[in-house]
Amino acid sequence: MDYKFQFGVVWDNFPELLEGAWLTFQLGCFAFAGGAIIGLICAALKTYGPWPVRFVVNVYVVFITNTPALIQIYFLYFGLPEVGLRWSNEACLIIGLTLNAGAYLTLILRAGFLSVRITEIEAGQTLGMSLLQQVRYIIVPHIAKSIYPALANFFIVVLVMGTSVGALIGVDELTGQAINLSSVNYRWLEYFTVVAGMYVVLTFVASIGLALLGRWAFRVKARIF
Amino acid sequence: MPHLAVKDVRAKYGSLEVLKGISFSIEKGEIAALVGPSGSGKSTVLRALMGLTPITGGAVDIAGETMNYSSAKEVRAARDRMAVVFQQYNLFQNMTVMQNLTLAPLKIKKWNKSEVMSEARRLLGLVGLSDKADAFSDQLSGGQQQRVALARALALKPQILLLDEVTSALDPELVNEVLDAIRKLANEGMTMVIVSHEMAFVREVADKVVFMDAGQIIEAGTPTELFDTPRTDRARDFFSKILRH
Repeated sequence: MDYKFQFGVVWDNFPELLEGAWLTFQLGCFAFAGGAIIGLICAALKTYGPWPVRFVVNVYVVFITNTPALIQIYFLYFGLPEVGLRWSNEACLIIGLTLNAGAYLTLILRAGFLSVRITEIEAGQTLGMSLLQQVRYIIVPHIAKSIYPALANFFIVVLVMGTSVGALIGVDELTGQAINLSSVNYRWLEYFTVVAGMYVVLTFVASIGLALLGRWAFRVKARIF
Repeated sequence: MPHLAVKDVRAKYGSLEVLKGISFSIEKGEIAALVGPSGSGKSTVLRALMGLTPITGGAVDIAGETMNYSSAKEVRAARDRMAVVFQQYNLFQNMTVMQNLTLAPLKIKKWNKSEVMSEARRLLGLVGLSDKADAFSDQLSGGQQQRVALARALALKPQILLLDEVTSALDPELVNEVLDAIRKLANEGMTMVIVSHEMAFVREVADKVVFMDAGQIIEAGTPTELFDTPRTDRARDFFSKILRH
C-alpha cells in the first residue's frame, strides 16, 4: 500500500466543514423539536382519542416508520414539484426529517403515556388534585423521566443518520460539505476520515449534554463514561 | 351523632354489584376494621368513600354533613375530610419524601409554607423517618415507603383516615414498623377505617369489626364478639380459618 495521506487540504477547508457540522446540529435540533411536538400530539391522540383519530395517526406512523427517510425526502423534493409544490432543498429536508421524527417519537411518547400508573393518579385524586394538576404534577414528570433515555438515543439517530440524507438533495450539512469538497480535490479518504471523527465528536458532546440534562432534570441514572 | 356514618352504600362494576348496601358508623376517635375474604368488597368501601369508585346508591355522613357523591363538588368535599393510604403506597416516584408530603398542602390547599414544612417534619418524626426527608421513594424499603404514605395522608389534616391493607405488601419484618405508626395515631385519637388481614392488630386497636362477604355486611360488633363468639356460620368459618395460625 503506497497511498500517501494528505490531510493538508482538509485542514485548509476545515472552516467549511465546521459550517457543515453547525448546520447538521441545527437541522437535528429543528427536526427533533418539531418531531417532538408532532409526536406529543399524536401520542396523546393515539392513547386517548376516538377510533377514527387513532386510525389516522396509525396510518401516518405505519407509513413513515416503514419507508426509508431517503424516499420520503425524495418524495418531497423531486415528487411534489410535479404537482406544483416546490420547496427549497433545506425546507424539504427539515419537513421530511420532522415528519419522520414525529412518527418515531409518537411511538416513544406513547410508551410514556402507557407507563403512567393509574395508582399514582388515584393517589393524586384522593389528595384533591384537579385533572390539570394531575397532568402537571404526576403525568408529565412521569412520562419525561420514563422515556428520557429513549428520547436521548433518538435525538442522536436524527442528528447523525437523519440529517446526512440531506447531502443527496444538495444540502450542505456535514456530509454534503464533505462530498462537495472532496469531489474538488479527490481526497475522499482524508475527508471522510475527518468527517467521521467530527460526527463522533458531535454525538459525543450531544450525549454528554443529554446525560447531564437527564440527571439534573429527571434523575435519570445514565452512565456518562 | 356518629363521626362517620356509611348509609346503605351501593356500587357496581359494570353489571356486577360489588357493594350491596353497606351501613356502619363510628364515633369520633374510634377505629372500625373491615375484614373478610378477598373480593368481599372491603377495599371498594374505602374507594367509594374517597370517590374513586362511583357509588350507585346510599350516602355518607361525616360529622353530620351528608354527602352522596353526586357531583365533582361533593366528591371534593369528601376528599377534603378523608385521606387514604393504599396497599401499594402509591408515592409520587419523581418527588422526594418531603415533596410527597408537602405537594398537596402547598399547591392544592395553598396553605402557609412554613407551617406546612414544620407540620411535615413533625409527621416524619411521628412515623420515624426524620432522616429521610430528601430521599426518593426508590431509595426506601417498603415499610418506609408505607410510612411516608401515612405521613402524606396526614399532612392534609384529614378528619378520618382510611387504611387499605397497608401491611399486605410488606415483608413480615417490616409490618411492625407500620403498625407501630398506626398505633400512635390511634392513641392520638384519629378516627380510622382500616381494611386489614392482621387480626391480632385488629383485635388490639379496633373498636368495631365489620365482617364482609360478597359485597354485604354479614356481621358487625366488637372484636371480642366477632372473633370469640361469632353469630353467623360464615363468620365462624372465616375466623376459625384465619385465627388458627
